[in-house]
Amino acid sequence: MTSDSNAQSVETLDGNRFAFTDRSLAGWEIASVMSSILIAEWMAATAAGFAKAIIAIPVALAILIVILSHRLRRESLRDIGFRFDNLLKALSILAVPVLATALLCLLVGWKLGTPVNFLRWHPNRHVVLQFAVGFCWALAQQYVLQGFVNRRAMIWTGRGWGSVLVVAAIFALLHLPNVWITAITFVGGFIWAAIYQRVPNLFALAITHSLMTWFIVSTLPPTALHHLRVGLGYFF
Amino acid sequence: MARARATFFVRTRGLGSMSRLSRATFVQLLIGKSICEALVVTAVAAGLFLATTNPALHGWLDHADAQTISGWAVDDNNPDRRVQVQLYIDDKFIEQRIANEARPDVHQANRAGDDWHGFVFRAPLLAAGEHEARVYVIHSGATATRRTLQIIGNPITFRSAPLP
Repeated sequence: MTSDSNAQSVETLDGNRFAFTDRSLAGWEIASVMSSILIAEWMAATAAGFAKAIIAIPVALAILIVILSHRLRRESLRDIGFRFDNLLKALSILAVPVLATALLCLLVGWKLGTPVNFLRWHPNRHVVLQFAVGFCWALAQQYVLQGFVNRRAMIWTGRGWGSVLVVAAIFALLHLPNVWITAITFVGGFIWAAIYQRVPNLFALAITHSLMTWFIVSTLPPTALHHLRVGLGYFF
Repeated sequence: MARARATFFVRTRGLGSMSRLSRATFVQLLIGKSICEALVVTAVAAGLFLATTNPALHGWLDHADAQTISGWAVDDNNPDRRVQVQLYIDDKFIEQRIANEARPDVHQANRAGDDWHGFVFRAPLLAAGEHEARVYVIHSGATATRRTLQIIGNPITFRSAPLP
């Protein structure tokens, strides 16, 4: 998988040499893409009104790096998880955590006295359209999180709980400062990352991601979720 | 633990390593991307500063006591414009008005284009004790999305006597 002997040696200004191994490069790739997302997320509210389109620059750079990385590492769409042959297997494994999340949300919502409303997500949008939009957004998130970050984390720290924790922590970090969503995404990110390493299927992850979001929005207090806002936009 | 790891995490296909040439090119790309993003963040920070700040707004808080708070304010870029000022006492908003009172001394000192850039606020009823007055000039950006306050002069602390 990785080989430190295959390191790219680079000479520094003071004449020393240090090596970029595949592992260190994978870690750098994760940091680079996450920094772009954080810049876009935290700049979006700052730049509102006078240059909101400027956030397209870090987003475009992140997409460029992700696509180039896939190409240079010779990863196919099937490798990444855009496939259907293991969809049912992935869904069957994901069914248990999805049901557990649904029950937990109902329980917490009931304890907090929140009325259950399955049309609360985007009340002005048709429910079918909302599901389609929710699925596409979930697929995009899972593609970056699992298809890129998880795969690079596996190169960086090795397959297993370490890389799963890295993915969960990164997913949670991207949802700061919304404390509820940060906690929920840490748990969700952990489950999805572990299952992706076992059965890499992004469609199954996106289906469960959108279902879980729908359930969380429908059952937990809207004031606590803060309209799912993250980044600097959380404060506005 | 190792057994659980071995049974749960099966081998994931296609975790390919890069060739030496690809890696060198990719490292350069990552450095270039970081430089681009640093420039973007700098541009946004500078843009935000320019959108929310007007260095041409000047003024001074001359006097504050339990009766009146007065001073002057001018926009050097547009000296004929009457700027809006807001009074805060003890960090609480009190009043907003236009700085259009007579201040010939400011005009004579070449700080304003005409005599009419002063402001005088009548102080509200205050509890006995020490208070702090601050006056801010309102800056409206090029678009209507933001209005910001810029303090003029220094805050003035004054004492208010007990009510009769």
